[in-house]
Amino acid sequence: MPLVRGTGKGSAAGVSTPHPPKLDSPDDESRWAGARALAGHADAVPALAAALARETVPRVREAIMTALMRTGDAASIEAILPYLRSQEAGFRAAAIEALQALPSAIAPFMEPLFRDPDSDVRLLATELARNMNASEATRLLCGLIEREQHPNVCAAAIDVLTEVGTPEALPVLEKCAIHFAATPFLPFAISIAIARISGSEG
Amino acid sequence: MAEIGVPPKARILAVDDSSLVRLYYRSTLEKAGFAVEQSINGIEAMEKVLLQPFDLVIVDVNMPRMDGFTFLRSLRCGANEVASLPVLMISTESQMPDMAEARAAGANFYLVKPVTEIELVRHACVLTGVSL
Amino acid sequence: MDDAEGGASRAVRISAEEVQRFCDFLYRRTGMSFTEGKRYFIDRRLEDRIAATGSTSFQSYFSLLRADADQEIEHLINSFTVNETYFYREDHQLRCMTSSLLARIVSDRPPGSTVRIWSIPCSTGEEPYSIALWLMETWPQVDDYNIEIVGSDIDTRALRAAAEGIYGDRALMRLSRGVVSRYFKPVADGRHVIDDGLRDSIQFTRANMIDTQDMMRYRDFDIIFCRNVLIYFDDSSRRQAAENLYDCLRPGGYICLGHSESMSRISPLFSVCRFPDAIVYQRPEVDLG
Repeated sequence: MPLVRGTGKGSAAGVSTPHPPKLDSPDDESRWAGARALAGHADAVPALAAALARETVPRVREAIMTALMRTGDAASIEAILPYLRSQEAGFRAAAIEALQALPSAIAPFMEPLFRDPDSDVRLLATELARNMNASEATRLLCGLIEREQHPNVCAAAIDVLTEVGTPEALPVLEKCAIHFAATPFLPFAISIAIARISGSEG
Repeated sequence: MAEIGVPPKARILAVDDSSLVRLYYRSTLEKAGFAVEQSINGIEAMEKVLLQPFDLVIVDVNMPRMDGFTFLRSLRCGANEVASLPVLMISTESQMPDMAEARAAGANFYLVKPVTEIELVRHACVLTGVSL
Repeated sequence: MDDAEGGASRAVRISAEEVQRFCDFLYRRTGMSFTEGKRYFIDRRLEDRIAATGSTSFQSYFSLLRADADQEIEHLINSFTVNETYFYREDHQLRCMTSSLLARIVSDRPPGSTVRIWSIPCSTGEEPYSIALWLMETWPQVDDYNIEIVGSDIDTRALRAAAEGIYGDRALMRLSRGVVSRYFKPVADGRHVIDDGLRDSIQFTRANMIDTQDMMRYRDFDIIFCRNVLIYFDDSSRRQAAENLYDCLRPGGYICLGHSESMSRISPLFSVCRFPDAIVYQRPEVDLG
């Protein structure tokens, strides 16, 4: 009977020599390993931020963002925030994902993000409220909607409220429906959000 | 929902990370006689187009894990029968460079959010070759 | 009657809107979706979980769920899918391995080369032993290559059981009588022990997928089976585990997830590959960008 041959104990380690971890190496694999080795090291945040600014390979960018996310302090968040403005959709998405994993640390940044002059930044930032507790998320998103002129930003905020909104959001949503009565999609979105929130009243 | 017993005009995959947008597309297009499936990002969309036949993919740009452009580029450069699927890109971006980028990535058409129901249905009909 | 007891035993009423909220969350988080016809199924599971967590309303349960308190995501998903382990479970992926993956893996490798396969988590061993059995039973080139199979888990008790290799009828239910007679011997109380040679050929180790230091000890795998575990992890653990697994794969290596799991909910690092028997994910051969 044929047996599956193993080379015995100790073979789990594999055969290749890992590339030396080095954040500023010309070699992708070394930069990848370098970023991973620095995960959670608060003193490495400046080096990781600088590396992120240079990095063009998506999976290394992911690893750098993960490393920053693992530290998760204000400095890490400051390092990731600029990429909400990136011209590259993938980079913007990566930044939001990393920040989404830090609902408590991102809290002090929410108001400034919701007041950013760039509507794209305000729109992306709504997603960050999703992992917060319901009343905090509702408060922040309602504040945004009350001021907001841009329909797509409102739509994004309404989407998050549909999941997490409390009844406190209802008056703001009703006003929003009047304001955007002639805009496509918004009246539909608001009616769903209102139904979901009202339908959850005890 | 499309009439029972009547085959759908065409099959559409709606890709957007917003559940409200997907619901809007689904209810609008189903009323117009299309069968609609959904996906939350480009990775799920790629899995679905590889598993089932579709006549059109409607895709957003800003989505987690795989954005619309990355999905579109992966779709177009794949050496398989899905590479030439019609794609309608619907995005929040309204500048000329964004439309140019969409065309360059392989989108057949580009619309700016928020879209009206009639715009959506008209474009779906044109891109799937069915009548209104 | 005691008020508190009365409150807990009275079923919490759930509105249609609340069920919709729940379904949207579940789909976003796990990819699971249900047609209208399955609505009763969801209602029952939701009621069960609300009662099991001692929640007094859907809203308080939903907050708990969103925060994944006490691993509620895991309990919830387990209430929807039966997570039993047995030999040849999800065999379409084993079939994919021998029909599609291995040919590609060995295409640029001379006979006698090593092929490395990892089952993580391996639990009580059914999966790594299944891989070995399947290879011997269905891969014509099984003797042409040096096949290393590693089974790892965080649970040392499960690993001990795996190393023992003793299984009851339920675990063997998918195996033909021929396979059982070829590779197992009966032992006390109606159970079977797997053949010595097979037992010794799997390397069982303790590993924690989220621990980068731990995982860095493993490299160059051609195929990783990581089924029905990643979906339970919270956002940052899922991300970390996926990165670790990527690092453990050879460029071009494949990873197989559980039947209701998708990388769309886990990580952007892998490419989607469609084969006749399964969708699997690949670490790209070459970096893009």
